[in-house]
Amino acid sequence: MDTRDTFRHNVLTSGHRACSGCGEAMAARMVVDLIGPDAIYVNATGCLQVFTTHNQQSAWQAPWIHSVFANAAAVASGVEAALRARGKDTPVVVQAGDGGTFDIGLQCLSGMIERGHDVLFVCYDNEAYMNTGVQRSSSTPHAVRTTTTPPGRLSEGKHHLKKDLISIIAAHQMPYAATATVAYFPDLKAKVEKAMRIKGPRFLHVLSPCPLGWDHDAALSVTVARLAVETGLFPLIEMEYGAVTGVMRLARQRPVEEYLKLQGRFKHLFADKEGAAEIRHLQALADANIRRYGLLDARTEWDTDRAVQAQRQGRGGYAVSPKETSL
Amino acid sequence: MNSLAVEPGSTVAYPTGDWRNQRPVYRDKWPPCGQTCPAEEDIQVWLGLASDRQWEAAWRALTERNPLPAVMGRVCYHPCERACNRTHLDGPVNIHGVERHLGDLALEHGWRHHLLTEQPQTQQVAVVGTGPAGLSCAFQLARRGYPVTLFDARSTPGGTLSSGIPGYRLPKSVLQGEIDAILALGIQLKLNTRIGVEIGADTLREEFAAVFLAVGALQPRTYPDDGYGGHSVMTGVDFLRRINDGERLSLPKHVAVIGGGNTAIDAARCARRLGAEVTVVCPQDPHGSHGGHPGAEMPASLDEVIQAEAEGVRLRYRVGVRRLVRSGAHLSGVEIARVDQIHDRHGRFNPVLFEGTEEFLPAGLAVFAIGQEVDWRGLEALVEPRASSVFIGGDAAGQPRFAATAVGSGYQAAMSIIAFLTGAPSQYRHHDKAEVTFRDIKPQYYPKQVRREGELMVASPGGFSERVAGLDGDAALVEAGRCLSCGVCFACDNCWHFCPDAAVIKQMGGYRIDYDYCKGCGICAAECPCGHIDMEREAG
Amino acid sequence: MRQLLEGSRAVVEAVRLCRPQVIAAYPITPQTHIIEHLAQFVADGDLPAGFINAESEFGAASVVLGAVAGGARAFTATASQGLLLMTEVLYNIAGMRLPLVMVCANRAVSAPINIFSDHQDSMSVRDAGWVQLYVESNQEAVDTVIQAYRIAETCELPVMVCMDGFFLTHTFEPVEIPEQAAVDEFLPPFHFARTLNPAQPMTLGGGSEPDNYLEFRAAQHQAMEQASEVIAAIDLDFGDHFGRSYGGLAEPYRLEGADTVMVTLGSTMGAVRDAADTLRGNGMPVGAVRLRCFRPFPAQALIHCLAGAKRVVVLEKAFSAGMGGIVSTELRAALHQAGMPIPVESFIGGLGGRDLTPAVIEEIFHLAASGKDFATSRFAGLDTGAMPSIEET
Repeated sequence: MDTRDTFRHNVLTSGHRACSGCGEAMAARMVVDLIGPDAIYVNATGCLQVFTTHNQQSAWQAPWIHSVFANAAAVASGVEAALRARGKDTPVVVQAGDGGTFDIGLQCLSGMIERGHDVLFVCYDNEAYMNTGVQRSSSTPHAVRTTTTPPGRLSEGKHHLKKDLISIIAAHQMPYAATATVAYFPDLKAKVEKAMRIKGPRFLHVLSPCPLGWDHDAALSVTVARLAVETGLFPLIEMEYGAVTGVMRLARQRPVEEYLKLQGRFKHLFADKEGAAEIRHLQALADANIRRYGLLDARTEWDTDRAVQAQRQGRGGYAVSPKETSL
Repeated sequence: MNSLAVEPGSTVAYPTGDWRNQRPVYRDKWPPCGQTCPAEEDIQVWLGLASDRQWEAAWRALTERNPLPAVMGRVCYHPCERACNRTHLDGPVNIHGVERHLGDLALEHGWRHHLLTEQPQTQQVAVVGTGPAGLSCAFQLARRGYPVTLFDARSTPGGTLSSGIPGYRLPKSVLQGEIDAILALGIQLKLNTRIGVEIGADTLREEFAAVFLAVGALQPRTYPDDGYGGHSVMTGVDFLRRINDGERLSLPKHVAVIGGGNTAIDAARCARRLGAEVTVVCPQDPHGSHGGHPGAEMPASLDEVIQAEAEGVRLRYRVGVRRLVRSGAHLSGVEIARVDQIHDRHGRFNPVLFEGTEEFLPAGLAVFAIGQEVDWRGLEALVEPRASSVFIGGDAAGQPRFAATAVGSGYQAAMSIIAFLTGAPSQYRHHDKAEVTFRDIKPQYYPKQVRREGELMVASPGGFSERVAGLDGDAALVEAGRCLSCGVCFACDNCWHFCPDAAVIKQMGGYRIDYDYCKGCGICAAECPCGHIDMEREAG
Repeated sequence: MRQLLEGSRAVVEAVRLCRPQVIAAYPITPQTHIIEHLAQFVADGDLPAGFINAESEFGAASVVLGAVAGGARAFTATASQGLLLMTEVLYNIAGMRLPLVMVCANRAVSAPINIFSDHQDSMSVRDAGWVQLYVESNQEAVDTVIQAYRIAETCELPVMVCMDGFFLTHTFEPVEIPEQAAVDEFLPPFHFARTLNPAQPMTLGGGSEPDNYLEFRAAQHQAMEQASEVIAAIDLDFGDHFGRSYGGLAEPYRLEGADTVMVTLGSTMGAVRDAADTLRGNGMPVGAVRLRCFRPFPAQALIHCLAGAKRVVVLEKAFSAGMGGIVSTELRAALHQAGMPIPVESFIGGLGGRDLTPAVIEEIFHLAASGKDFATSRFAGLDTGAMPSIEET
């Protein structure tokens, strides 16, 4: 066990092999430290599994299991059923990428939710199959360059749209489903904590930038995530039993170009007039999100300005006092 | 041996730090407020403590460099606020308001300064002048164990703070309170003692191991024209001293005050309070007309100017006095004209006027506040030649004549004196840290907050009681919390939260980077709100 | 207590006696009666277990995987397509060395789709690392499920109890259901050393590299080989406790002086016994061996049984297309390795529920005894004129 940090457990600790600036490592570290070591973590195959467990080394400091790509939600269902049968209320948390959630894992996830398992499913969405070398998934946004949606004479990147997963999930009439991202830690914290207070299936969709696949400067992982929200391309919302119950209001809407231009995966859109048309399309998609969720006029406690404020002595964060040594 | 169950946290055996080609470094910068503070106060530090409601600790941090916060919070023209990076966001932090609040809290609660050492020193030090430089120097020496004797020619201590600043800006009780707290460190005070009169300069040099001359610059610069003295022409220094000494002058209907500095504005507002119609003949342009360029804009504090205008003082900019217009023994007015140049070819203040732009300004009294010089009379034996045990500071050292500069000068002098007395190098360290500009600040982490101002007291716009109220505790707390903490970690946890590699370790009193694991992505630096983290290139 | 029970119901009684805490399943013919009965037991409060209706067999296998890792004794059952859909997870369960018991109600594999029994489903996952036990009767199914849990938990290996669909699952036979106390004495409470537990956190299912994957796989193979002894011993111990045992790895029948020995698996053995009895009555020296444990492959036990045989005929209900009978291929290799040049003939039959009557089996015995053509597998009862041809379509 690694006990370097006296203020948090580092449930996901150092020495993992994620790329420099990995948004998924960041997101997962935030989420698992908010939940803590007293939980059981089930991981789908994917970057997070690959870079955290390697040749008889593990970066996890909590019970953790990985089976195969598609079945994390089902494994978690079994773990949860076993714990409940044994009279234990240990929380069970699934972690999966967008492939393991939107695509190959969707069936098991749907089953898990429909059966009402007391499990939090966290999707770290980096919008493509990054682990295998940046192939498109159903989460990849429109017009993105991936190795399987390459721009070319006949192509401006991915033709199809990003799957509206949160609506699919919420349509299960489940207690809690929310979107979040690394850029708004207080918001992410509130959502994880809320999710952990609720019994039953819960879903958290965390946008996690990928410097490799998105082709942006490793230092900009947080910045890019913030812009995804501020442009309206990735709305931060909460849904309970199928209804939208919370949105993060945008203090201001930024044009999508501000987001796109930082990322090589959109570079081809700035090259010609077909690309320019796709930028207008992406802007229209962002505008549609803003209309759909009322992102500019919702009456909310927080907005995108308030939710990033850095407070003195970490008052906006977690573990403001040293962790208990008993754990 | 391989195992089906892997040990938790075992990747720590795999240091990823060698992936890195740049490294983050926590580095305290020097915020522009502190950089511009003439007293070199570590403003960010005491604002930080105040924002944590550690009021007394904040006061102690402040008084490290300035033992007169209640005074300075009132009279300093706060260049710190002009430099404040928050200006680019939503307005500068009300630094002087918090400073004043801290000083007032100390007076209210009777907080006492602490000695820095239990070890008394034997070498006596004389400090001549009880203005801000003298008080500051005496304070710094006394808390380090030196027996200090303060001399002042006047019957009340405080120097210009007492004689030059009107009570509506600085109530006497506030000044006296802070002086008392300084004297309580065991400083001897000898008033009504002019060097060269009551005590000889040689005696002083013989009896004291070191002498600090902080005699101020009280000799008013005179107008080339004749006629000083009498009732119709006065210097600003004399005018203010007489008022501050309690004299209730009877003024003519019209008063002209000549000058663009704080003394001129003080004189004008005092004259206004005594019932006169006052016009300030200011050789410079108004604030803001030259982008803050010193020299071209009037040097008086903008707040004071605004208040003066609100009180009915009229200001005429970029005009100078060509001559005094007399009617018999009495002054009937001054002839003013448009200023061409303020300074002559040698850079001296010497306004050149445009011919043909003259106009008549009626005035029964002309108050000239066009600068002061040092009066060295009686001190010649100490300064000609200057003995190695004699130190000069404050206005007497020819520095910019602001109270806070004098405070800083007193601190530096104390450090030099100790170095002289001990033979050790001076402990004075000028901050040589890198500056933080607004470009280093990540404004998204600071929600907009309107600046709180001390309210103008409506009850006494024309009296000599205090004109501007202090910030109340809540407002002071908010203002302290508005500090961006430029370049100095305020423990927001961003680097700790955002590090994908758990390579930022939080510990009591801050963070450290675990370079065994840091991959050098630079997110911590990119998301550090205040620019405290630098990325440095590394080989390989 | 002896009861007349449908095979599925009998198996469920055995499962209940083993006190599973989590049951997951997805329905597929002919496994459905098993999970329906289990669901009813749980619904009636007779079986205090979590019953998880999975969204697929892939999910069901994953649920029981998670349940075992979560510290619970678990059960599932499937067949045919369901087993194939589970395949990825089956390998994973075995590689993680999770003690789990599953019943496979053996059924043919699509296409063409066919709901009736053969062994193609379980034989297709023979390399997954599961112990495979093929039972002959409903009584053996009951007893083998109980044995399977002890094998699984002793060896940390998953065990598949293969029972022929319909022939056993849907057939009523008199079955002796053991007493709970006796089962509790035979089968210790569930314990899994690598249970996920915050008090003792560990990582399960992490990545490996070229420099250690081989060792994991070799260790798995070694564990399977070592399981042979355990399986045999537990069967004997079961006999001591309950008075019934099944020959451990392979069960011989009338081998004394037998020249021609038929090797088969599962419920077909009943007809083989009848055929052998008839032929013996006619003076033909035939015998039989029922291969009870297919994985680990019990080469020694088979060699021991077949030491006196002049020729061996394998009657098998699965094959590897393009190669032929699976059991026969493995048996030939084992005998060759042991330096026993006994010819092994392979008859593939009973596919997709085709009846293997004693008459058919007697004919196979005669063909085998004739000593002709041991080169390739033959399809028993094949109507060559009815074979589809792509030219005709």
